[in-house]
Amino acid sequence: MSSLIAVVDYGMGNLRSVSKALEHVAQSDQIVKVTADADDISEADRVVFPGQGAARDCMSEIKRLNLIEPLLKAAEEKPFLGICMGMQVLMSHSDENDGVSCMDLFPGDVKFFGDKLNQSGEEGKLKIPHMGWNNVSHKQSHPLWNGIKDDNRFYFVHSYYVEPKDEKLIAGQTNYGIDFTSAIARDNVFAVQFHPEKSAADGLLLLENFTRWNI
Amino acid sequence: MLLIPAIDLKDGHCVRLRQGLMEDSTVFSEDPVAMAGQWVEAGARRLHIVDLDGAFAGKPKNADVIHEIADRYPDLTIQLGGGIRDEDTIAGYLDAGVNFLIIGTQAVKEPHFVAEVCAEFPTHIIVGLDAKDGKVATEGWSKLSKHDVIDMAKRFENDGVEAIIYTDISRDGMMKGVNVDATVKMAQAVTIPIIASGGITDMDDVKALSAVADEGIMGAITGRAIYEGTIDLKQAQTWLDEQ
Repeated sequence: MSSLIAVVDYGMGNLRSVSKALEHVAQSDQIVKVTADADDISEADRVVFPGQGAARDCMSEIKRLNLIEPLLKAAEEKPFLGICMGMQVLMSHSDENDGVSCMDLFPGDVKFFGDKLNQSGEEGKLKIPHMGWNNVSHKQSHPLWNGIKDDNRFYFVHSYYVEPKDEKLIAGQTNYGIDFTSAIARDNVFAVQFHPEKSAADGLLLLENFTRWNI
Repeated sequence: MLLIPAIDLKDGHCVRLRQGLMEDSTVFSEDPVAMAGQWVEAGARRLHIVDLDGAFAGKPKNADVIHEIADRYPDLTIQLGGGIRDEDTIAGYLDAGVNFLIIGTQAVKEPHFVAEVCAEFPTHIIVGLDAKDGKVATEGWSKLSKHDVIDMAKRFENDGVEAIIYTDISRDGMMKGVNVDATVKMAQAVTIPIIASGGITDMDDVKALSAVADEGIMGAITGRAIYEGTIDLKQAQTWLDEQ
């Protein structure tokens, strides 16, 4: 009896690296399927929600493909991993593109680094986007951190960061001029700002932990 | 995606080669420090410096110019390759303000050296793999090995390198376009970011790489194209930042 991991493809970003990485670490009875199909998402045992690009384009594609409901339902029911934009669009609102309403799974906003960096006096030293390896400090213990040392580095490339209203959601924190939330967790949802598929062994381990995570 | 201008040093001058051949070199400037300034003015956030003489000799040959560039532009991120073969050389350049050291030949000759220097100088090491028809070349590209470049790249994934620079030798300096397919294959095969290099000629190439950048291509090094003016660095980076 095989188990399905759906990787949601809403046309924003190349998914080859994510799906290859998942295939590499998946358990022997798990199948990884890249899909935009709502039925696949409802039938899947686990859902990975990646994404790259601007918030407005991500949200408009998700809506166009009628994926909002299936995604929110999946987020209620089964292990759900958001990556990069797949984390940002879970919030209520993003400041990107003059303001975009997002999926509102987690109350909170998505803010631009630029403003904060200028305020902190780091302008000229810290560039946008935040691109490169950076440390992630574990703010709560979680099965997805199994085997990953606190403060180990992951690979980031982003200009906006999430600000959840409820601090209890914060699972990981990183510093780039300011301390920002780099991972959030609640019940069966875990979402990360960094790219586990480009974060070498620790990234693969996080993905593997996700494939083993039973809620 | 970052567009990274290249300054290749030969006898203290800023040159461009064709396919890495020292005999086929054009001097673009006798003042590499001024050249660096020009790229900083144009908005470069990172500079790629190659000590060509160093690559052939196996040790630094243009250190004074490099030190001067690092001094003059402390906010500029600098990645340096060419003859980086031992820890003292790395330590010296880090002290001078260079941000990343690129290990090429030594990574192929003694792969464990990469793990060692990553442990000693964490966050400061990049591996540069240069390939012709998928096989790795070393020592200023004067020697072609039998190693497959993707297999080689995967050896360093978990050492803690910042990225792998993948250069297609046959395209380098030739203004014939970048090898997008090979670059994508490399990006998909490794679990760390790569930096593309070799053959980026015009905005079409920049756009082609940008389209696949999310496979893990964090940057693209460009040389001849910005020196001959077929790419405007400022315009290109502005376009990239809008993607």
